[in-house]
Amino acid sequence: MSAVRTAHHGSRTRHTRGSRTWRTRRGVLAAVAVALLAAGCGSGPSLENRGEVTAPPGDSKHLVVGSAGFTESDLLAQMYALLLDEAGYGTEILSVANRELYEPALESGQIDVVPEYAATFADWLNAKANGADAEPVGSPDLATTMKALRGLAAPRGLTVLDAGRAVDQNAFAVAASYAREHRLRTLSDLGRSGLKVRLAAGDECVRRPYCEPGLKKVYGIDVTGVDPKGVGTTQAKKAVQSGQDQMVLTTTTDATLDEFGLVLLADDKHLQNADHIVPVVNRSRAGSKGVAAALARLNTVLTTKDLATLNREVDSWRRLPEAVAKRYLQDKGLL
Amino acid sequence: MTAPPDDCLARNEWICGRYLSTRREILVDAVLQHLELTALSVAVALAIALPLAVLARRWVLAAGPVLALTTVLYTIPSLAMFSLLLPVYGLSSTLVVAGLVLYSLTLLVRNILAGLRAVPEETRQAARGMGYGPIRLLLTVELPLALPAAMAGLRIATVSAVSLATVGAIVGFGGLGNLIYSGMNTYFKAQVLTASVLCVVVAVLADLLLLGVQRLLTPWTRAVRS
Repeated sequence: MSAVRTAHHGSRTRHTRGSRTWRTRRGVLAAVAVALLAAGCGSGPSLENRGEVTAPPGDSKHLVVGSAGFTESDLLAQMYALLLDEAGYGTEILSVANRELYEPALESGQIDVVPEYAATFADWLNAKANGADAEPVGSPDLATTMKALRGLAAPRGLTVLDAGRAVDQNAFAVAASYAREHRLRTLSDLGRSGLKVRLAAGDECVRRPYCEPGLKKVYGIDVTGVDPKGVGTTQAKKAVQSGQDQMVLTTTTDATLDEFGLVLLADDKHLQNADHIVPVVNRSRAGSKGVAAALARLNTVLTTKDLATLNREVDSWRRLPEAVAKRYLQDKGLL
Repeated sequence: MTAPPDDCLARNEWICGRYLSTRREILVDAVLQHLELTALSVAVALAIALPLAVLARRWVLAAGPVLALTTVLYTIPSLAMFSLLLPVYGLSSTLVVAGLVLYSLTLLVRNILAGLRAVPEETRQAARGMGYGPIRLLLTVELPLALPAAMAGLRIATVSAVSLATVGAIVGFGGLGNLIYSGMNTYFKAQVLTASVLCVVVAVLADLLLLGVQRLLTPWTRAVRS
């Protein structure tokens, strides 16, 4: 089914998807459909609804925790839900395919809490507010990134809670055999080797400074093209495993690389941004101290390594995210 | 680092008993959600398609636009459909149902209309001659005779709704699609296979159920054959 193929199956749907082709082509036809159904059903929440932005911080007792549908997001959403349950809130989890879908829902209060990545989310909000060509605001420095992120989130009625220790940065992996053959340990090594590299990544990679442009400019890597297989997806990793592509964009908490015979190349020139994990909440529904305190308990506990281990249990051992999250919190004495 | 547990889940086998036993509740919920989405959308689509088809049959001028519009709706890619309906319905099961209703319309309107058009003119005249008014003619003569074609449309619409409902996973309401979608992300063989098989089973059972209903409603079709 072609529809399913174009869906972003990324285990990391953290990046803007290119979905303009159908939007413009089918726009007119679909407008007819929308108009047909919209008659008399205008009460649904609007994407453009900013009515609650000025409302004071609220403390709803029933909270919807959003997950972006990939393993790590599922795990974090489960942990958030369990911690909120522990603090006396009622919770449910809604899993949505990508940020384009859940961010508007977060603004409108259909979703109240979402696990996010500081720099990636800051850049996403920046692109939404100032256009796709806006100067990126995410940086390798956490404080700078958080300041920019909070500045962008506040006008949308969103509160960004404090960042924890866990960081899920973008990272690049190559086949272990390829790395051995060409003696590669870092991205700088790859740049020096002068090898031609086809990169499996999200289609937004061609524009993002941390991706193709950064690899070319900072590391001097000869990127011949981007294969839009998504970020860290099975398809993307298989493409590198089979030699169809040479490098894949994935993340530091990916624990399935061994399975595909892949190794990470070190980001020795610090191209990647401060993608610390931060809970983002809808201020008018979950902007209270109670929610912040409940979620902050995770900040000093959860590390990048822990997160990779938990991802591994779900991705490689196929345990239930719910059970893995619960056991982890119990082990750490948080439940 | 702890060693992986040695079971069919960790080995990522296609068929895995432990998957079924640990995920029973999740699978049941997914099937129920799938049935709910499909049944609701086909029922609503039928309620809309029937008057549209009757309208198109009565006024020849209406037939063109009605068929054109429903066919155009059918050509919208499902991902686009759900995304475009998002501002109207938000993240809800209503969104998925609305999308499925629009897709079912084409199949239902076309087939009901074909059934109505196939009613022989002599039959209609005979009924009129016996003093049947337009409403009674429609309800007791035309619709029953259109039933086989209409039921064929209903069966196709239902089966395609079962498969299209999976795309609802992008907004978290896709029934078995939720499992297929997350299983594909992590290359989880048992989950993808189990959910896909269940999806096919649901489609086949729904089709058989409707076939049974059709046979009950149209006993005369069998009488003619035998």
